Amino acid sequence: MPLLSLITFLPLAGAVLLVFFPRERKGLLYGFALALTLVVFAASLLLFARFDASVAGPQFVEKAPWLGFGIRYHVGVDGISLFLVLLTTFLLPIVLLSSWSYIADRIKEYLIFMLLLETGILGVFLSLNLFLFYVFWEAALIPMYFLIGIWGGKRRVYATMKFVLFTMAGSLLMLAAIFTLSSLFFKATGTYSLDVVDQARMALNPRLQTWLFLAFGLAFAIKVPMFPFHTWLPDAHVEAPTGGSVLLAAVLLKMGSYGFIRFAIPLFPDAVEKFLPVLSVLCLIGIIYGGLMALIQKDVKSLVAYSSVSHMGLVMLAVFALNVEGTTGALFQMLNHGLSTGALFLAVGVLYERAHTRLIKDFGGVSRRMPVYSAFFLVAVLSSAGLPGLNGFVGEITCLYGVFAANKIYAALAVTTVILGAAYLLWMFQRVMQGPITNEKILAFPDMSLREIACFVPIVVLMFWMGFAPRTFTSRMDASVAAYVQKIKSRERVFVQAPAPSPAAVRGAVPERRPR
Amino acid sequence: MSAYAALVPLVVVVGGAILVLLLEAFWKPADKTPLAVLALLDAAAAAFALVRLWGSGASSFEGMLRFDDAGIAFGAIFLAAFAFTVLIALKYLPRQNADYGEFYGLLLLALSGLLVMVSSPNLIVVLLGLEILSVSSYALTGLKRDDDRASEAAVKYFLMGSFASAFLVFGLALLYGAARSLDIRAVAAAFAGPDGDSLLGPAGLMLVIVGFSFKIALVPFHMWTPDVYQGAPTPVTAFFAVAPKAAGFAVLFRLVAPVGDQAFRSAKIHAVLGIVAGLTMLVASLTALRQRNVKRLLAYSSIANAGYLLVAVLAGDGVGLMFFLAAYLFMSFGAFGALAAMSRRGEEFHDLDDFAGLGDRNPWLAALFAVFLISLAGFPPLGGFLAKYYIFSAAVHKGLTPLVLVGLLASLISAYYYLRIVVVMYMKDPVRDIEPDVDVPAVYLVLFLCLYGVLQLGLFPGRLLLVFQRALASLIM
Repeated sequence: MPLLSLITFLPLAGAVLLVFFPRERKGLLYGFALALTLVVFAASLLLFARFDASVAGPQFVEKAPWLGFGIRYHVGVDGISLFLVLLTTFLLPIVLLSSWSYIADRIKEYLIFMLLLETGILGVFLSLNLFLFYVFWEAALIPMYFLIGIWGGKRRVYATMKFVLFTMAGSLLMLAAIFTLSSLFFKATGTYSLDVVDQARMALNPRLQTWLFLAFGLAFAIKVPMFPFHTWLPDAHVEAPTGGSVLLAAVLLKMGSYGFIRFAIPLFPDAVEKFLPVLSVLCLIGIIYGGLMALIQKDVKSLVAYSSVSHMGLVMLAVFALNVEGTTGALFQMLNHGLSTGALFLAVGVLYERAHTRLIKDFGGVSRRMPVYSAFFLVAVLSSAGLPGLNGFVGEITCLYGVFAANKIYAALAVTTVILGAAYLLWMFQRVMQGPITNEKILAFPDMSLREIACFVPIVVLMFWMGFAPRTFTSRMDASVAAYVQKIKSRERVFVQAPAPSPAAVRGAVPERRPR
Repeated sequence: MSAYAALVPLVVVVGGAILVLLLEAFWKPADKTPLAVLALLDAAAAAFALVRLWGSGASSFEGMLRFDDAGIAFGAIFLAAFAFTVLIALKYLPRQNADYGEFYGLLLLALSGLLVMVSSPNLIVVLLGLEILSVSSYALTGLKRDDDRASEAAVKYFLMGSFASAFLVFGLALLYGAARSLDIRAVAAAFAGPDGDSLLGPAGLMLVIVGFSFKIALVPFHMWTPDVYQGAPTPVTAFFAVAPKAAGFAVLFRLVAPVGDQAFRSAKIHAVLGIVAGLTMLVASLTALRQRNVKRLLAYSSIANAGYLLVAVLAGDGVGLMFFLAAYLFMSFGAFGALAAMSRRGEEFHDLDDFAGLGDRNPWLAALFAVFLISLAGFPPLGGFLAKYYIFSAAVHKGLTPLVLVGLLASLISAYYYLRIVVVMYMKDPVRDIEPDVDVPAVYLVLFLCLYGVLQLGLFPGRLLLVFQRALASLIM
């Protein structure tokens, strides 16, 4: 059974079907979309169950010729992408459930774009061919563009255009780099291939590698976002509807960090080594700058947005540690960030639906009126701040451990993320949830409905699970991460960039004619 | 096969044109639909005749007329453009008080000119085809006789077209002096020969290229395009944006590709063309940013696309060129078709503000228009993306990386102005009360066919690429 294709394209099929649904039947529309995303989640659980933790390479591989010139439909999942896929399929039903009362008009289009987005994201995480990856990467942009632009806040048009143009600027350079790689591969071997495995075996001269790495790195750095390319993020997050913010923070940002691990670093190890100091310093600036900015935000949502900049800075710093601990920690922290920031955005959404404001000064003492909500919100806050026993702690400690092994000064500076995180999150929690009730409107707030609780429960359960039994997750990453680190350290290259193609060098690459 | 086989498609088209004109003159039907149907049937017959010639390399008049497979592939693009134009015009023309039966006759004549252009290896015959096309085009532009803008456009087009022809003819004269023949192969051979680096040949070639640059609207010879495209009736604009451009690039490719292999002389010509391509993409995209009229914006977009096509010519990527033209056929007709639907009796709604709230009012129309715009902006998985991908990838392969970077920059800019229309349609509230009459089944047929085309080309172009490859194999002799 082509499990990966099923998982990827089921949401797309659902979106196409939804076009023919009557637009007034809210229950039917939501029911269908929710059921579909649950099926997708169930299918991805099957993936989890059948995943062989001892295999380093991609599993469930599907390969089919597509457009020629080395462009193939080539998907597979390994320890690096497995949990990002699961995170996506896990969050989608929750996001849909949380949108029930928030999205008032054009529900049908909303659900269609959500499902399209899921296909795009899953495709990004599963692609093993550069072209296929690029297609999904760009295709995921369009639904998000509509989600922010149609259902967003006041400055939605500005925010969505900024988001699209920033992302596209980066990815077009990446496209140019893909052209170059394709052409170089052909010149070196006489065949076309854009599969990552083949590309990673091509030796490139360092100067060229620098340029190509910059092109790929820029695309991913914008997506992560790394300082100084983060300016689109607060706008997009603040203006997006709750569901959009959740997916943006929890999954879309991960496309950037995943891109570094899957493509930019393995393809251009020499260039990475050269830029390592610069990149690490940028990450550190991001960590501290994001934390300080979060401290002074007046809007809860932009506070969470800046906290993302800070947290993703730590993730990237751990990625650039280029060791097993750092990479595992980064992967684990990516999941944590997805869960905790997702939960925080959901929590802000719950509050916004009641108060129609997100300014911190408008709140105070909310926990008296909403005790259940308060409990969930607190768990999310503590998870994000890295309290031992919850997932955030495990991730942060592993990341810092990896960074420490690579460079002690970086690690010392990176620890500020823990301090700053605790500061801005707890301070925000205190001002919003505790103290006297200053705003009369708060007296009329109902506590969370069953539907809202249903959104939070799975996330909170997972937070505890990941906090207490992280091995469930990391054990499945180990083999792939070890292989990845070993590969970038050893730099085995089969092909030499020779002027004349030698047939002997074409090992493993299937000869391909012009398109069929 | 008989000696006149290559003539059959042309005879069918021209005969149809004359028949339509005669019927209009003597029968004078009040409702022009029968004439449109006749024109469509005629085009279908021509398509049949054309496809029968596939692979035969039929030639008539001692090789002056020769349908090679590339010519047939281009002919198919023209015929599709023709059919789409007629379908869009079916209801548009009566609404705009321009319901003249001559429209179909003139369009058929333009089609015959296009077919002549791609079916001859001899430049003088190409010029003949170009003139047939041009004269019918001037008349088609001014179809709305009572409209000042249309008249202005027609006069402008006529003047500019005449200039261009003058350049072209002078260039041909010089080329003849250099090569003693106007056969493209002979010209290429002359460039390769010992006298190839005398001034005569390159000067002639440059002038010919300038002439064509006018016709296919390359910067800096594009000034007439926005006015003409805006003034002409929308179906005609759609036709102009695709068909003459395709023919112009077909000729340019035949001319430049073989000469392009002659390293030293052509290096300068290539450099000049590279600059022209870069300018075309950038200037058109930047100017489009400021447009508030969607029809005019699409005119600039068509100029920018000419720039991408020129990159394909420079890269020597014939398959990419044809593929881009096929994808552009669908995107462009989709967009202009949606534009044609935004009208009612005596009125057209082409201001950007008129599109505000369209996503609510006409969800289907807005969604289709959005798909074509997104495809034009070059987002996967639509045809426009793959078209650009092939061209740029071939260009990088040829070492034209700076040009590709310029092209990608232009794509980024273009994403802004295409998406701005989508923003207005979906994210802005209506500014004024307009009621376009969207009861236009034929236009929707075109839109859905184009949607199919854009998706098919974006996802599974497979066979089409193979066809183009075979077509190209017959071209490079």
